[in-house]
Amino acid sequence: MIEVINISKTLPNGKKLLDNISFKVKKGEFVGILGASGAGKTLTLRSLNGLLKPDSGSVVFKNEIGEKVNICTLSNKKLRKVRQKIGVIFQGYHLVQRLSVLENVMIGRLGSISTFRSIFYGFTDAEAHEAMGALEKVNMEHLANNKVSSLSGGEKQRVGIARAIFQKPNLLLADEPISNLDPKNAKLIMKLIKPLSEEIPVIGVFHQPEMTAKYCTRVIAIKEGKIIYDGKPNLSEDQLSEIYGEELSTLALQGK
Amino acid sequence: MKIAEFKISRYKNIVLPLGGLILLSFLASKSCKIDFSDFGEGIANGTFFITRMFPPDWAAFPDMLQPTFDTILLALLGTFFGTILSLLIAFFAAANLSNPWVRNITRSLISIERSIPELFILLILITAFGLGAVPAIIAIALGCVGMLGKLLADTIEDIPPTLMDSVASIGANKIQIIAFAVMPEIIPNLISYALFRFEVNIRLSVLLGAIGAGGIGYELETSFSLLEYHRAFSALIIVLVLVFSIERLSSFFRNKLKTAIVLK
Repeated sequence: MIEVINISKTLPNGKKLLDNISFKVKKGEFVGILGASGAGKTLTLRSLNGLLKPDSGSVVFKNEIGEKVNICTLSNKKLRKVRQKIGVIFQGYHLVQRLSVLENVMIGRLGSISTFRSIFYGFTDAEAHEAMGALEKVNMEHLANNKVSSLSGGEKQRVGIARAIFQKPNLLLADEPISNLDPKNAKLIMKLIKPLSEEIPVIGVFHQPEMTAKYCTRVIAIKEGKIIYDGKPNLSEDQLSEIYGEELSTLALQGK
Repeated sequence: MKIAEFKISRYKNIVLPLGGLILLSFLASKSCKIDFSDFGEGIANGTFFITRMFPPDWAAFPDMLQPTFDTILLALLGTFFGTILSLLIAFFAAANLSNPWVRNITRSLISIERSIPELFILLILITAFGLGAVPAIIAIALGCVGMLGKLLADTIEDIPPTLMDSVASIGANKIQIIAFAVMPEIIPNLISYALFRFEVNIRLSVLLGAIGAGGIGYELETSFSLLEYHRAFSALIIVLVLVFSIERLSSFFRNKLKTAIVLK
């Protein structure tokens, strides 16, 4: 469970990037965050795992033993501990290109192995088997020993998902996971993420309303740092034009 | 009108700067009391000197194998320790690993190091350690920091922020981020820079050898001061071959690495 309470972020010049954002996401939910470019979607997502510190408000995360922590006020050490339980799938360049697919998946457990072990890439055989299992779930086990740099965009995203699965998170965040992909691969990635939301809350930032309508259980729309919609994933034309404003015509041109 | 402008611009861009330079050189040579007749004398002396060096002392070559090896070893050890030192310093000098204060202070220290000649470092170290290989290795290693430290820090700063965020998001600490995100990304650059620095260090090792670190530089220096010009010529040939072949070898490997860097 994660609850965002009144977070705000203002630039020194007074421009409000986030303006009193509040929402709560529970297990079984697959939340899609929509909004025009620069609306504050990614900033909201980044504040959920402490990559961004809001000026005010709190982000309350409930871990597996039911303990509630405020991510905004944690010390670095405690934040690292909490992050071990939050999986993140990024857009584009987020894997270590020169390491193998399997090694990239195993990075998912980095937070829970000792610093000394990690210097020597000292993962156990059991962990390697488990990482292979995660790769099997995304149909990537045949490329386990290939370097990530040799993969296509869709394959890289599948490795990102395998890494998140291997991490065994209590919350999964996805920052535009399908933005650089063709429609076929985008659907595949959504189909892989969807079942994860049955176990843990999943929150993703998307640019494709038709995808969130199909796969998400709930949509939150952000405009100029404020939540302007929070509800069912199916949005009407009017709602879309309110969310995207001028950007909608570009979306329409792309056949979306 | 156009032609007049063209003439003015030519005057401004060529005649004026060139004339200024000539005037400056003239004034400088005046103030340094340079007598141009010395040049002619010097060239005559030099030619005489070179003819006296011929032929090289072939018998001296076997004696010089060990010193040559020592020179290579000095450069190798100096480069090795220098690269490790530079890497450690680069972590503190990279904005994405360090805090702004530490970064700026470290960067300034790197710049200061770059401005101190290795020869000067060696002279200071000799007073502490005495003559020999140890001060030379330390001088070469410290000399690496100015160049490698800066290049490596810049390479680290070029790592895509999403990659750093993505590893940090898992709960990895600084050392783990270095081991899993930074090191795999910078290894080809690291090797490439170290190889280039090794070329520089071979030349440096010859030079430092001449002022007491041993090796082929020392052979060269002693042969000259004992007026054994044929022997000195042999040492000179070895230095030329050594520097040339190390440069070829290093650039061969660096070219191989370049493809690896581009392909990532």
